[in-house]
Amino acid sequence: MFQSPNRIATILSLIIPGSGQFYLKKYWRGVVIFLTTAIITFAINWGLVDFKIGQVTIGSFQTSWLWLVLALFWIWNVRDAYMLAAGKTSGAVWGVLLIVLTLFVIAWNVTEAKPERLITRFPAAKVVMIELLNPDIITMDVNGEPTICDWACLAGHLNGTIQGDLRLSNNIGDIMGRITNKPAPNWEVQLGLAAQDGTVPTFQAGKMIETIAIGLLATLFSTLLAIPLSFLAAHNIMSRIPGGMVVYYVMRTFLNIVRAVDTVIWGLIIVVWVGLGPFAGVIALTIHSVAALGKLYSEEIEHIDFGPVEAVQASGANLVQVIRYAVIPQIIPPFLGYTLLRWDINMRASTILGFVAGGGIGFFVVETIQMGGYQQYAAALWVVAIVIILVDYISATWRQSILKDQPPVDVKIGRSISAILRKTLYIVIGVAIFLYCFNVTGINLKDMFAPAPTFLRLVRDFLSFDFSSDVVDLVTKQMFITIFQALLATAIGAIIAMPFSFLAARNLTGKSRFSIWIYYLTRFLFNVLRSIEALLYVAIFVFWVGIGPFAGTLALAITTFGLMGKLFSEAIENIESGPMEAVNSTGATRLQAIRYAIVPQIVPPFLSYLIYQWDINIRMATIIGFAGGGGIGLTLSTFFGQLSYHKAGTVVLYIVVVVALMDFASAKLREKLV
Amino acid sequence: MLKVENLVKVYPNGTQALKDVSFEVADGEFLAVIGLSGSGKSTLLRCINRLIEPTSGKITWNGIDVTDKNANLRMIRRQIGMVFQQFNLVKRSSVLTNVLTGRLGYVSSFQSLLGYFSPEDYKRAMSNLEQVGLSEKAHVRADSLSGGQQQRVGIARALMQEPKLILADEPVASLDPVLAHSILKYLEILNKEHGITVLCSLHFLDLVHRYATRAIALKDGKLVFEGLPHEIDDAQFKAIYGQEAERVSIT
Repeated sequence: MFQSPNRIATILSLIIPGSGQFYLKKYWRGVVIFLTTAIITFAINWGLVDFKIGQVTIGSFQTSWLWLVLALFWIWNVRDAYMLAAGKTSGAVWGVLLIVLTLFVIAWNVTEAKPERLITRFPAAKVVMIELLNPDIITMDVNGEPTICDWACLAGHLNGTIQGDLRLSNNIGDIMGRITNKPAPNWEVQLGLAAQDGTVPTFQAGKMIETIAIGLLATLFSTLLAIPLSFLAAHNIMSRIPGGMVVYYVMRTFLNIVRAVDTVIWGLIIVVWVGLGPFAGVIALTIHSVAALGKLYSEEIEHIDFGPVEAVQASGANLVQVIRYAVIPQIIPPFLGYTLLRWDINMRASTILGFVAGGGIGFFVVETIQMGGYQQYAAALWVVAIVIILVDYISATWRQSILKDQPPVDVKIGRSISAILRKTLYIVIGVAIFLYCFNVTGINLKDMFAPAPTFLRLVRDFLSFDFSSDVVDLVTKQMFITIFQALLATAIGAIIAMPFSFLAARNLTGKSRFSIWIYYLTRFLFNVLRSIEALLYVAIFVFWVGIGPFAGTLALAITTFGLMGKLFSEAIENIESGPMEAVNSTGATRLQAIRYAIVPQIVPPFLSYLIYQWDINIRMATIIGFAGGGGIGLTLSTFFGQLSYHKAGTVVLYIVVVVALMDFASAKLREKLV
Repeated sequence: MLKVENLVKVYPNGTQALKDVSFEVADGEFLAVIGLSGSGKSTLLRCINRLIEPTSGKITWNGIDVTDKNANLRMIRRQIGMVFQQFNLVKRSSVLTNVLTGRLGYVSSFQSLLGYFSPEDYKRAMSNLEQVGLSEKAHVRADSLSGGQQQRVGIARALMQEPKLILADEPVASLDPVLAHSILKYLEILNKEHGITVLCSLHFLDLVHRYATRAIALKDGKLVFEGLPHEIDDAQFKAIYGQEAERVSIT
């Protein structure tokens, strides 16, 4: 029964997990099994020592029952090697389940999940919830006192049971902006438009306008900077230049490192450079998105159609001419598409930059929460949701029309007067918006080129990483908590999103008026929840379940729910209708049809989205601590607060390594799935 | 005169695309290159203007050693026009811009970076477009043209180089039979009336009979035939295309 190769592979896997699979030339499988065993072993031991996870006492011997699960995994691996050697198929389901079980037991414990608090603290949370549902938008004067007019008051006003004048709250003025009288500028006085020492009504931008300006400027600047850099990071361009490959590798590494550090963390660093304010936000956001765009752009350059390049080259053109005439015309639409996508992402990021950089709506949120102004906070959340939903919509539709890139039928390019006029108008509007944003964000190049002396110290300390054992222990522990937070949040959010996603899939909901309402309601819920960054939700959960990793996990789970719900329901809408028709024709019930015609089609995209979301959540989890959500962000902000930049440098190094590794792993995994 | 001696091309993955190929082409010839897909026709044509770097061997053209490492590639390439199976137009650029790119070998980097071409170049581009019957379409986007029209733009682009030699790599393989004849007729006019030497790889033997003055055949990277088109008899045909092959014709 045992032929020799079978025996060798099986015994190898018994001694070193994965080695048998490796021996059978299933290299990936072998490496993954080996690494998984190593990581799980480490994690169980770490959980037992640091958190007493799964601790059981046998006589005087203390150990963790999770070792038993590892043993089962080990047995699965041996069986897997034996089955593969025998030329039979071997499913990974049991192996994966055992690993998932272990990971979630550990995640549950290290993120201090206390679901009972969701219930015991509910009465207190309810008060805040009610305030959140009644945002400070409309004010009415009651006995000369300005009072927030909530929904009940508004309804009463409509019925005529409540009398009084309604006006927009001061809070909305803080958020959106207000007209104030300012001393007239000189040029208006000289033109005779205003009296000497007179005042003119001026629009003073609110925090949300500032947020929008930060997002727009960062997108513009990062696009302009990323274009030249992307050519230096494109394999097919650099391999044609002597010594170009060195530049290529340096650029790629550089972009990957910069990209791994979240915008908010860049904000922490930049604040030391130019001081608190929207300008710091613009710089931080620009740095991160140059790296993100640079990577996407360069990949786009690498994927161009080679034909025109060959043709232009054959006519005797040199490299500069080839780029100008064969490469650039091809990459304009995808570049624009990525810029629009980035604009969407940047707008979201600029809503939370204020937590550290002091500009935009994030700063407003921090202030109002500190003063306990939950109704003001709620108004800010609603405004953010509306703006982001709009941006998302504009960016998506515009992107679609650009990427379609249909040639105009027999229309001459850019020749008619109206086309030229329209172009000029767009340019004028664009320049006006740019100048306004420039003004609102208080860009000050003088600050930029004369950084505070502390900044030089920061850079020096930052790069002299502190690897003393207590720092390394603390950072490692927090990093693990962060990873487990992301894991748990992804699972919770996705599991809850799954049933909801069926309600938001147009091809499954019926045609009745009721189900159409359900469809729109679920879609709306997804869109609102995912348009607000997790960092902005943390305050709610800090109040509800207390400061700590669990609050952060729940906040992450909420955005996960929104995004996964949307992606899941779209995946369901994109399935082929053929199998559904076939199953229905057999007289199957709706539930049976879902089980046999839909579920098999949606499992691969669901898994792929899960991994994608996990990748996003890891990045978000690294900053969730800034608002009291625990994890590595808390450690980082503490080190920054203590001006211990050498320790902060260690933290950032950890984040770069972990995020880059996760990014790589998730890309590989998703490749395997598709 | 074009002279190819002992040309060998081995790709980095070990594929031997050309094995010791030698032949000559006199000025004013219309030379057809035939052979199965993957027999090395495209590689051969691309070695002549060094879009592909030959592994060994020597190519001389009008006394210039093309394969010399120090050869001025720009000067050589700009005198050799090329026409491609997939047309290789920049789809989003206008037809006129596509034609003008044929002139890049004569324009300095800086000028072309700004998109500047001289008025003479514009005049030349328009007259070349007229020659292929597309002057009406100068300002439309290249991808709004049909396949046959795109290939005519490709020819106009090659003409911008004022070439003495045109390399045509399966110029009609992506087109239907009627268009195939119209495209080859343009090449024939260039060959007969303007005295431009043409090297053209073709799939169909009757096109070879109709247009070529001479033919060579490649099989697995080796030269297996060199002679007049009508000399390709059944025995020759089977030697080139294999025993299983049957003659098909294009009408």
